[in-house]
This record gives sequence, structure tokens and C-alpha cells, in this order.
Amino acid sequence: MIKKVLLLAAACVLSLCIMRATPPEGEEGEKFNASEVILHHILDSHDWHITDIPAGKENGKTQYTPIALHLPWILYSSRDGLKFYGSTHALEADGKFGLDHHGSVYAKKIGATHAPTTETAHDSTHTTTEAHHVEDMDESVSVLDFSITKTALQIILVGLIMVLVFTSVARGYVRNRGKAPSGLQSFFELIIIFVRDFSKEYLGDKHEKFLPYQLTLFFFIWFSNLLGLTPLNSNIAGNISVTAALAVLSFILINVNGSKDYWKHIFAAPGVPKPMLVLLTPVELLGIFTKPFALAIRLFANIVAGHFMVLSLISLIFLLGDNGRNVAGASGGAVLGIAFAIVIFCLEMLVAVVQAYIFTLLTTVFISMAVESHDDHHHETHKVLDTEVNRDLRLSDFNAH
Amino acid sequence: MILVPQLGLFFWSSVIFLIFFFILRKFAWKPIIAMLKEREESISQSLQQAEKAREEMAKLQADNEKLLNEARHEREKMLKEAAQARDEMITKARTEAATAAAKEMEKAKVQIESEKMAALITVKNEAGMIALEIAEKVLRRELAAGAEKEVLAKKLVAELNNN
Repeated sequence: MIKKVLLLAAACVLSLCIMRATPPEGEEGEKFNASEVILHHILDSHDWHITDIPAGKENGKTQYTPIALHLPWILYSSRDGLKFYGSTHALEADGKFGLDHHGSVYAKKIGATHAPTTETAHDSTHTTTEAHHVEDMDESVSVLDFSITKTALQIILVGLIMVLVFTSVARGYVRNRGKAPSGLQSFFELIIIFVRDFSKEYLGDKHEKFLPYQLTLFFFIWFSNLLGLTPLNSNIAGNISVTAALAVLSFILINVNGSKDYWKHIFAAPGVPKPMLVLLTPVELLGIFTKPFALAIRLFANIVAGHFMVLSLISLIFLLGDNGRNVAGASGGAVLGIAFAIVIFCLEMLVAVVQAYIFTLLTTVFISMAVESHDDHHHETHKVLDTEVNRDLRLSDFNAH
Repeated sequence: MILVPQLGLFFWSSVIFLIFFFILRKFAWKPIIAMLKEREESISQSLQQAEKAREEMAKLQADNEKLLNEARHEREKMLKEAAQARDEMITKARTEAATAAAKEMEKAKVQIESEKMAALITVKNEAGMIALEIAEKVLRRELAAGAEKEVLAKKLVAELNNN
């Protein structure tokens, strides 16, 4: 137990290090902007920023050398077609595209590229650059950003971890054929069987068809959340694009497997008078989309909220410490912030698995509602769904407090 | 900004997730699920077999008990029968012996009787012969001396009676 607490403390201290890694850009003594730092940590980026090391002073300003892994830009624009850049610097040096203060890419007017100033181009707080950006933007050109960002890279990492872990588990089954499971296999067997059991409970004989998806979903969300809690890694499921992607995949799976009764229930609910259908059908149709929408928002909000809390608590150190000038405040903030951060961190470990469970379970419930072909089971499922959703909402509330 | 999905990341998340889904399905989930199923089936089968074996065992035991009981019964019956037979044999032997003895006795009696009769007859014959002899002697003496004849006759008769 003590060992675990120490480990958590170490993790928190490490995450503190990452905090320091992004000093508020600008002069020393500038106010520490907690919300900006937190947002920077939560949002996706085009490089994997590890830390900044001080590289001496220049004109009274501490210069930092960033240590970061540059990730490639892949852009498609109506003007230039597909474009590849090795890093953000390369993109800015090329002069065809610029970045706005959100870090989003836009196409520059070709004529306005005579003086690309790389120094100020990524200085997001500078007001003159912003005005400059708006000026040189070519609004007739739409740019699609298909870059492999930090989050995309992390998704690949999670996928690789999953392949490594579960092929090893599968090998364990071959090795221990006819024998008791051992090692990694015996740990994951519990969870795999847990997922399979609730899948079986809702889908009955049809569960085998959906089980691979459910297992992938569950472990992907869980592993992503856990990875997101470790230092240097981004919160994958705390990114709306990722949860939206998962929700869309679930949405496709649900509706592709919709039975005749499922569609009948939407367009011509049995036992409902014909005129009422005019009202009911749009509501039911909306329901098809609100379900995955809720899935995406729930997962995103829960994970992002946890990260917000941990980062805010860590930010206390810098806020109370007046950004390095008040040592007493900083130590007080450190004690307070780390103590609370550890509690939240533990809670987040729980939320990591609970959210994976909820996402998978609700997907299962929606699939079971879509697949079902007997009306008499319908009410039962609705009832079960209601209790599940209530439980989920309670958990979300708990998390939000 | 935080709430706006980005097309690029959305695209890559979907693609990467799907790629890993297919990889995992082929190399992890399918073998794992198949193995789990196989193991569960073998466990339930083993349990069923154990149950069956236990039932059979119980049945065998009951059969054994029954056989033992039967054997015990049989033994008792046999012992009983043997005792009966013994008793019967003894009584039969006894009666047979008794009847045989009685028969022998009867035979002996008859023989004795017949011997007696034969003896009597011989005695009678002897007596007759002797009487005849006496009579002959008497007759001869009569012829010789009349007086003596009476004394002689009485003496002879006395002799005869003594015999």
C-alpha cells in the first residue's frame, strides 16, 4: 500500500515536471496563466513536447531549448493538393500555410508570403501576429489537416500495447491448453470473461459476433485512460475527436445490425395512432443519433474533467508560489495540491475503467435493442437501460464534484 | 476549441482503431474466445462425467450391497437346509436302524421258534423212539418174565420222565 502511494506521489511529481516543461512563454515574472497551461496540456498538438531546458539568458530573458518530437503535417488543400511537412518549422518556413492562435492551420495568400517570420509565427499571445494572420489568410482555399498528431501517435501506441498484451494472452492459452491460466493470461481472463458475461447477458446467442468489438473497445478506452494518466502522454479519450470516432463506429455497428423490428419501432411504432407518428418518428430518429452523441460526450467530459482537476491542483503550486517568487506559497501549494491531486488521481484510475465499462456496456445495450426482434423483450431492455443510465449519471455527477 | 472535433484526428482515430480491431480480432480475440469456450466445455463435460461416474459408483455399490445381502441370505438358507438335511438323515438313519433291528429280532424270534419247534419235534421223535424201544424191550421181557415187566416198565417210564 505504502509502495503504491509512493508510486502515485512519484507520478504526480513527474507530472509536475511536465508542467514546468511548458513555462508561460514570455518574460519572467509574467503572471502564470493556469487555464492556458491546462488547455495546452489537454489539447492535441503537432509535436510531442517533452520538456524545455534553460539555455542561458539573453537580454534578461531566460531562453529555453525545447526537447520535443516533431510530428509530420499532412495537409490537403484545394490549392496545393496533398502536402507533407516534417515539422511545424518546416510548415512555417514553406510559407504556403500559417497557424492561427488556436494552432489550426490555414492557407496563406501566395502574394503575402514574402516575409515569413518564424519567430513570431508561433507566438500565440502576440496580438500583432494575430492581426497579421487574419490579413494573409486566403479564405477561398480550404485546408484539411490530416496530420499524425500527438494523440494519433498515442492511439497507435495504445494499439501496439494492446496487440502486444493480447497476443501474449492468446499465446498463454495455447501454452496452457487444458491447464489453468497463468501470469498475464489469468489477469486478463477475468476481465475478458467479465466483458463476455455482460455481452452474453444482453445479446444472448448473438454475442459472439460482437464480442471482438466490445473487447477492443473496452480495452482501448481503458488502456488509453491509463496511459493518459502517466506523465508525458496525452489524454486520448479526453479528446472529442477520438470519442466521436468511437461513437461513430458504435453507431454504424448498431444501425447496420438493426433488425426489422428496430426500424419498425422507429418509423411505425406499434400501438401508436397514425397521426402521433408524425411527432414520434422524428423523436425516434433523433434518438438514433443522440445515443452515440451521449456516448462520445460522456467519455470525453469525464476524462477531460479528471485531467482538468489534476492539472488545476498542480497549478496551485505556481499560483500560490507566485510563479517562483514565493517559496513558502509554493511549498504550501505543493503539499495541498499534491495531496488532493493524489486523491483525484486514484479516482481517475477508477474512472478510467468505469468509463471504459460504461461506453462498452451502453454500446452493448444499444446493439441489443437494435438486434432484438421480439417486442416483448423491448420493455425489459428499456428498463435495464434506464437503470444503467441512471447509475452512469450518478457516477458522472460523482466525478464532476 | 476543446469541444470542436478535428477531422484529421477523427479520421486517424477511426482508421487506427479499425486496423487494430481487425488485428486483435484475428490474432487475439478469436483464439482467446475459442480457447475459453473449449475450456469451459471441457470443464462442464468433465463435471458431467464425474457426476455420471459418481452415479455409476453409487449404483455399483448398491449392487454390491444387494449381492452381499443375497449371498448372506443364501448362506443362511444353505446352513438351514444343511441342518435340516442332517436332522432328517439322522432321524431316517435312526428309524431305519430301528426297523432293521426289529426285523432282525423278528427273524431271530421266528428262527428260535422254528428251532424250538424242530427241537421239540426231535425230542418228541426221540421220546417216541425211546418209547418204542422201551415198548420193544418190555415186550421182549414180557415174553421172558411177566413179574418183572411191571417194575421195568415203571423204571423206564421214570427214566423217560427224567429225560
